[in-house]
Amino acid sequence: MDDSSENLIEIRDLSYVIGERVIFDGVDITVPRGAITAIMGPSGTGKTTLLRIIGGQVRPDRGEVIVAGLDVCKLSRKELFELRKDMGMLFQSSALFTDVSVFENVAFPLRVHTDLPEDSIRDLVLMKLNAVGLRGARDLMPSQLSGGMSRRVALARAVALDPGLLMYDEPFTGQDPIAMGVLVSLIKNLNLALKTTSLLVSHDIHETVSIADKIYVIADGAVIGEGAPESLASHDSLRIQQFMNGSPDGPVPFHYPADDFLYDILGDASR
Amino acid sequence: MIRFLRSLGGQSLDRIASLGRATVMWVTALWGLPRAGDISLLLRQIYNVGVLSLIIIVLSAFSIGAVLALQFHTQLSRFGAEDIVGLGLALVLLRELGPVVTGLLFAGRAGSAITAEIGLMKTTEQLSSMEMMGVDPLRRIVAPRLWAGIISMPLLTAIFNVVAIYGGMVVAVEWLGGDPGGFWAGMQDTVELWDDVGKGMLKSVAFAVVVTWIAVFQGYDTLPTAEGIGLATTRTVVVSSVMVLAMDFLLTLSMYGDFN
Repeated sequence: MDDSSENLIEIRDLSYVIGERVIFDGVDITVPRGAITAIMGPSGTGKTTLLRIIGGQVRPDRGEVIVAGLDVCKLSRKELFELRKDMGMLFQSSALFTDVSVFENVAFPLRVHTDLPEDSIRDLVLMKLNAVGLRGARDLMPSQLSGGMSRRVALARAVALDPGLLMYDEPFTGQDPIAMGVLVSLIKNLNLALKTTSLLVSHDIHETVSIADKIYVIADGAVIGEGAPESLASHDSLRIQQFMNGSPDGPVPFHYPADDFLYDILGDASR
Repeated sequence: MIRFLRSLGGQSLDRIASLGRATVMWVTALWGLPRAGDISLLLRQIYNVGVLSLIIIVLSAFSIGAVLALQFHTQLSRFGAEDIVGLGLALVLLRELGPVVTGLLFAGRAGSAITAEIGLMKTTEQLSSMEMMGVDPLRRIVAPRLWAGIISMPLLTAIFNVVAIYGGMVVAVEWLGGDPGGFWAGMQDTVELWDDVGKGMLKSVAFAVVVTWIAVFQGYDTLPTAEGIGLATTRTVVVSSVMVLAMDFLLTLSMYGDFN
């Protein structure tokens, strides 16, 4: 990522529609270099889709997605694959290759993208696995790992090539408290150690607030709030307060739109 | 009526779009190989789709050859023409049954496995993660399987033919006491290298391209759900089988020409 501007990612006027459902409508997001930026919002608001758009796996209907000075939407397939070599992504499902061991999973990007001798690959893989605390699990197969361990291996694989941008898709979902704590500190420490830029998509408020430098809250296809974690906690928007406090009812209603409850149960007798 | 027309149009457009995606995938994947670094991937897939299909091919070939010899011998001996059992067997196998049955068995054994494997890789985001690591799954996953199928199926057809003729010989000569000289001589006198062996193998190459293409595309284009993989695997077997039979008719028509 040669471009040295202040922001690694600049998204302008992003719009994306699937069928008749508007996922994004004129969204602007900037991700500052070297910081941890979090995208938060209720389930189904397109947070994962946003990561896929930044990675060039999904093409938006309108708008610019500038990553390291390059507009992802205008890159050819070859240029896109070149750009992705400097991106690491941690998938929600970990997405480890199930037919090879933990070691081979982490070695995969090194084998494909470098001409390093086997000795160096071994050392690098062990260093990455050591960073996530799983050096001793190198010979296990992905099916033998717990959910938390899988995610740590996937994290080691994502940082194998020391990427300039690390994207995390719901890294805390489905993790027990210990695994969650481990992941929180790993994300923070890796960001510091590798001097990388991190983009985190999550709806786990407590964990995200504890490590993010900047947070965007998106809902209904738009950014409804942005800023430092402290400023969002005291934001005057009721929607943001509902989200940050986890209130079951508020501007985002508890009930899916439906007819009057009494009418649904009793029919015309209720009138 | 309008709703019917709209759904008909929608389905046609879906089919055309799907054919377009399949063609783009096929061209991109074929373009991607072979390169020196990919040989180990290719060999592994040849083992998976070719070597692992050997048992079903050999067993089926032996039993089909034996049954054909039994039928030919029973019918032809009524006219005292047992000597042409070998010739009949060879022509039927080399021209038709060898490539067609191998194609059908290949679709059921290897085609379904390819679809399920690629489909599951898509469902568990392994293909996406590969893309995000800057590795093109069309080159890394699809291309080796496509080429492995194209290389393996003609070889399997050749093995099928040899084993089936051997199975026929065991029944017609060893068991029913036919004349071995007549069995082999009829075959040697009549079977042509290009007309019978060559054209049969050409059919097999055509079936290999189509069956493997369908298998990888169905896996790559599957809906990423358990139900989607089930549907895709079924579609691979059904569409490949129908295509093999339909193509066989057209190829026979064009290769063996003048039926008037």
